[in-house]
Amino acid sequence: MRRKFANSIAYLVLICGAVMMVFPFLWMFLCAFKTHYEVTQYPPQFLPEQFSFENFKKAFSMAPFLKYFVNSLVVMAASVICTTITTILGAFAFSRLRFPGPEVVFSVLLRLMMIPFEMLIITNYTTIVDMGLYNRLPALVLPFVSSIFYTYILKGFFDTVPESLYYSARIDGASNWRYLWRIMVPLARPSLVTIILLNALSSWNSFMWPLYITSDAASRTLPYGLQVFTTEAGSSPELLMAASTVVVVPMIILFIFARKFIVTGVARGGLKG
Amino acid sequence: MKVRLEQLTKCFGNVTAVRDFTATLEDGELVCLLGPSGCGKSTILNMLSGILPVTQGNIYFDDVEVTRVPPDKRGVGLVFQNYALYPHMTVRQNICFPLEIQKVPKAERLRRAQEIAKLVHVDALMDRRPVELSGGQQQRVAIARALVKRPRLLLLDEPLSNLDARLRLEMREEIRRIQQQTGVTTIFVTHDQEEAMSISDRIILMREGVLQQNDLPQALYNEPANCFVADFLGNPPINRIEGVWRDGSFCLKDGSFSLKLTPDSPIENGRSVILSIRPESILAAQPQDAVFSCPVSRFYAMGKEEIAYLRFGSVEVRAFVPAELDLKEGDRLPVSLRGRGIFLFDAQTGGRLI
Amino acid sequence: MKDKPQAPDQPRRFRAIGEAYLYLAPFLLGLAIFTLYPVIRVFLMSFQSDYNYLNGTYAGWSLENYQNVLTDPKFTQAIRNTLLYVLAVVPISTILAVVIAWLLNRRLHGSAIFQTAYFKPMVTSITAVGLAWRLMYNQQYGILNYVLSVFGVSKIGWLTDPKWSLPALVIFGIWNILPFTIILLLSGLQNINELYYTAARVDGAKEGRIFRRITVPLLAPTIFLVCIVNTISSFKVFSELYPLFKGDPGPVYNLYTVVYYIRYMMMEKREYGYAAAAAVVLFLFIFVFTMIQLFVKKKLRNRS
Repeated sequence: MRRKFANSIAYLVLICGAVMMVFPFLWMFLCAFKTHYEVTQYPPQFLPEQFSFENFKKAFSMAPFLKYFVNSLVVMAASVICTTITTILGAFAFSRLRFPGPEVVFSVLLRLMMIPFEMLIITNYTTIVDMGLYNRLPALVLPFVSSIFYTYILKGFFDTVPESLYYSARIDGASNWRYLWRIMVPLARPSLVTIILLNALSSWNSFMWPLYITSDAASRTLPYGLQVFTTEAGSSPELLMAASTVVVVPMIILFIFARKFIVTGVARGGLKG
Repeated sequence: MKVRLEQLTKCFGNVTAVRDFTATLEDGELVCLLGPSGCGKSTILNMLSGILPVTQGNIYFDDVEVTRVPPDKRGVGLVFQNYALYPHMTVRQNICFPLEIQKVPKAERLRRAQEIAKLVHVDALMDRRPVELSGGQQQRVAIARALVKRPRLLLLDEPLSNLDARLRLEMREEIRRIQQQTGVTTIFVTHDQEEAMSISDRIILMREGVLQQNDLPQALYNEPANCFVADFLGNPPINRIEGVWRDGSFCLKDGSFSLKLTPDSPIENGRSVILSIRPESILAAQPQDAVFSCPVSRFYAMGKEEIAYLRFGSVEVRAFVPAELDLKEGDRLPVSLRGRGIFLFDAQTGGRLI
Repeated sequence: MKDKPQAPDQPRRFRAIGEAYLYLAPFLLGLAIFTLYPVIRVFLMSFQSDYNYLNGTYAGWSLENYQNVLTDPKFTQAIRNTLLYVLAVVPISTILAVVIAWLLNRRLHGSAIFQTAYFKPMVTSITAVGLAWRLMYNQQYGILNYVLSVFGVSKIGWLTDPKWSLPALVIFGIWNILPFTIILLLSGLQNINELYYTAARVDGAKEGRIFRRITVPLLAPTIFLVCIVNTISSFKVFSELYPLFKGDPGPVYNLYTVVYYIRYMMMEKREYGYAAAAAVVLFLFIFVFTMIQLFVKKKLRNRS
């Protein structure tokens, strides 16, 4: 009886909290379908009279959201591919190959992990400009290709694979390269999925760096494009909400399908070191 | 293939794991490397496979030196203690993997994998993954994977130690059968003397990196080269009695027991020696045939026989006695000794005297 | 003395060193260009007076940048805002997260649905949800003011009244950081052995007591680490500002934060030296907290 009572209190608190956490999203989606009048009237109207995609059409015609969307996809794909390859190669070298002082190098890297990107942004900005990549999509990928954190996660997994697998493959004539791609990478699939998802999320949602390094519509990604759109559609919240929905929905879908991987990845990231 | 190891030495830093190891394996032999853990037997195996570089000495395969040949060019198959099956691949993919690396055409690959799977009796499990297999099945797959590339030498590193007792018996017979059917020269590393005795053509017994004896299993048991070999083999272990040599007899230091023995060459009086007697060499005798009689201190039943602890003067020895004798503690048992299974060693060097 | 060849005591080095660096090359190259070099560069730049970003020349080495930045009222305001933000966001979000994580850890029905609900802000663009918050904060027709009006509160100018702009930023910040905090605490809770709870229950302890006397103390190390991690990330508050205030630092330029100040100095004033000095100051803050974090972790590891 007591237990039941305690559980219902728990449910109540959890539900209230969940509503507060979800409400901004809900409001965003609802307002994306409302008319300008419905959004701006007081007291606020909860549901739109009718669900029409008018706002989406209008937002897409006012700003090149399709272009932004494609840019975001391209940057995300490039970032995931490049970072994953770099990470796999680096983690394998740290875990299996021998070179002078891997322990020292690795502990230096872990120390470097605490340096905030905000601090590097000044020089990275000038580096990218010097490379002639200002306003071009590679600029949004390159600075994040070497991730100490992802390499750290993957090395941790590689370290758990028994050495005998390695020697067995070597005796069978497999090269390091072959062993890596044929044995290690398939075995590391769960860790790799986590890395890929975290990387995809941070690339898709990235705002500050694009803000520095891109200035015209051709190279904007969604979050920055959305920010720019506020100056054109500032007085039309319904259009902003429609555009925001486009930015948010892909990642929510991704999250629903891959919640476990993302949550464990984030938990490891927060308590790293 | 004939394998020759010449004065092989391996050092890890200051520790010498293997010292001056010389041995020859004939083509088609199954040889056990036997010894307590840490005696260097796995080190030898790893040097043969090429995983570990050799500090000194040479390895020859059929009179060709391979000491510095990389592992994949040696044509050896290695089965690890933990089997090292690739967990993400099916049995078939595991067995095919070495052939895939060698770029054997796919059809040929599958045919050979099927053939070898049949030989080791895993042909019904080809589409399973390693986690879906029992320990014994994993073992068979590991052997199949090592054999599929038709190695000239098969190396097995403690292959049975991860199995439970019953499977171990079954698998060691299987390994013997598979080895005899394929005729591949095989080295089998183990610390289990029974395992070694039951399946090998020859046993190489090692201790602290040094070869002790390289002989037929029975010869190792019946004619141990030194005290360590005698002590290591046999279950229950050999009776080991320390004493001195005096006037053609082995004597306990306190004089409470002595035994007349005939050495091939004279032994000087007063030398410290060890008398080793196998439990089965002490026989319960009719009073008229007895050499001497001695009190019984306690018993253990072991199936159809009993192990009796007999007092030879001030020391206790184990002997097998027939259960029908119906002995009681404190009885005096007339005993005779068999000629076989009685050895005398030098207490300092461990060298064999008789 | 016998002449004995020195042999490597490691397993065979398969074409080792060269190959290892080949594998490491992309990683190390990226790291050198985009992490190592910039760190050194920004430290140097912060001591170079009158750095010219067009041709890379500078007048000399001095503390001038630091002097100018530290006496700039915008920067002191930025420090003040950032500290206030951290002091509000970290404790409140941690307390909320402890309670929610504890409830989520009770393995109630539908915990997957709850998790999806709670964790969503973590995976979504801060800009997009920030715009939704902007709409909710609206003084005239925002739903927040409507809900408050039910309780008799008159309309608040969340985003227009300088008095309320920091609280608005803080509420958004808490909402935003909460999922991450809950995840960390939840994984900390899952590491606590069930036996402690069972033992306490056998001793007749009630739920509330178990929470206070067992859960919280055992979770304390995680709570502490979470506070540090969140402190560090809250120090970097920047992206939250943009959607709420249309890219300005507050309604009357009253909400500069340290990272916003760096951007302002760089992109608007083109004073790279000042930006670098501000970045180093930011780093020092973070460095101190990271050191505390490492120290505590070491202590915890020694204890267990």
